[in-house]
Amino acid sequence: MIEGKLVDLVPFEDDYATYLESWMNEEAWFRAHLWERREPHTEDMVKKFIEKMEKNERGALIGFQAKNGDPIGCVIFDHEWSRVRKADVTVVVGDTRYEGTDEALDGLLMLLRYCFETRSLHRVDAVALTFDEVKFDMYERAGFAHEGTLRQHIRYDGDYVDIEMFGLLEDEWPGYETITEKLGLQPSGLEPKPKLEKKDDKDGAKDNDKK
Amino acid sequence: MAHSTDSGHPLLEGLLVDLTPFDKRFVELEHKWENGPAAFWGDMGDRQFFTRDHLRSRRERNAAERENDSSPAVTFGIQTKDSTPIGLFVVAYIQPAFRTAILGAYIGEPEYWGGGYGTDALLLVVDYAFDWLDLRRLWLVTMSLNARVLRQMDKVGFTMENRQRNATLADGTWYDIVMYGLLRDEWPGRAAMLERLNLWPRAQATKG
Repeated sequence: MIEGKLVDLVPFEDDYATYLESWMNEEAWFRAHLWERREPHTEDMVKKFIEKMEKNERGALIGFQAKNGDPIGCVIFDHEWSRVRKADVTVVVGDTRYEGTDEALDGLLMLLRYCFETRSLHRVDAVALTFDEVKFDMYERAGFAHEGTLRQHIRYDGDYVDIEMFGLLEDEWPGYETITEKLGLQPSGLEPKPKLEKKDDKDGAKDNDKK
Repeated sequence: MAHSTDSGHPLLEGLLVDLTPFDKRFVELEHKWENGPAAFWGDMGDRQFFTRDHLRSRRERNAAERENDSSPAVTFGIQTKDSTPIGLFVVAYIQPAFRTAILGAYIGEPEYWGGGYGTDALLLVVDYAFDWLDLRRLWLVTMSLNARVLRQMDKVGFTMENRQRNATLADGTWYDIVMYGLLRDEWPGRAAMLERLNLWPRAQATKG
């Protein structure tokens, strides 16, 4: 675990694996994985995705949770390119109640902290669909620069839409302590979700997951 | 024109070059090209040491991946009009749902740089991507140090859409990674581009 101001980063296992079955079919997931075709994700595909990320030597799937232990979503770095020390970063706010909260922002900041202060990256890349203002706001608060627009790059619900490209360099990152102090992160005060049933009680877990 | 099997059957015929299958003549040259100066430009500043074994297993791996790939690729060899293999062209990461693909190419033989060979091949491939594959957007990636490609993109009508600051290292200096895009309704067609770029006279001069 790596402890942050409003959220902690944790290994992606147990309840996270169960939650991911619904998170991977949420709008937030498809928006974050805009390069991929939109299709329903079955339980089996979700399992395979987790396995793939466990074996991935150029990336990782990491859980992030509120200070009360409530799982919020996942942060992902991928395509880490060792020669130039850069990677793509993604935040998926699986529990949609946290969309736009400072917990979600802290998830991104913790991922950046990990990329720059632990993995020694030189640069990170992030993307957003052109109408995803919640993401723009999050990237801007985290200090990203908007570097360009890939025109009509994605088919999205009947339209060809632009993708906005963002970048943040190591020497633009003030450090986790400094940036969180400057931003004055405030907890949202959301109630934690009810605890999932034990994993072996499969039906019970599913009912809870659907809420 | 008659072509024997080892001179490469042209799928797409240009003025200075033809695009053919990436056959064993190209495979033979890949080792030289991948360890030479073209790879430095193509890989945005990387210099790698490829053994023949490594290249063979990479080819086999790519072929296997392509078998069950949802975003397949098309690879061409580039040869001159006298059937000399000089490089390769790839239409990769074809996304059927988005109708996009990324272009990748190099001229492996430096003496053919700057002579219009790459541009002739590019015009053929853009037409092919729009007219045969029915794509509607092409994009490509290079580094800001690559002045030759930046000029070519400008001439051929691609738009610089993104500039990732300090995203690659070439010979000890950080350069931007630049991304270019071309939409189908911006493309006047190969014939118009040949006129605009004055490639006909150049082809005549090369022949003479």
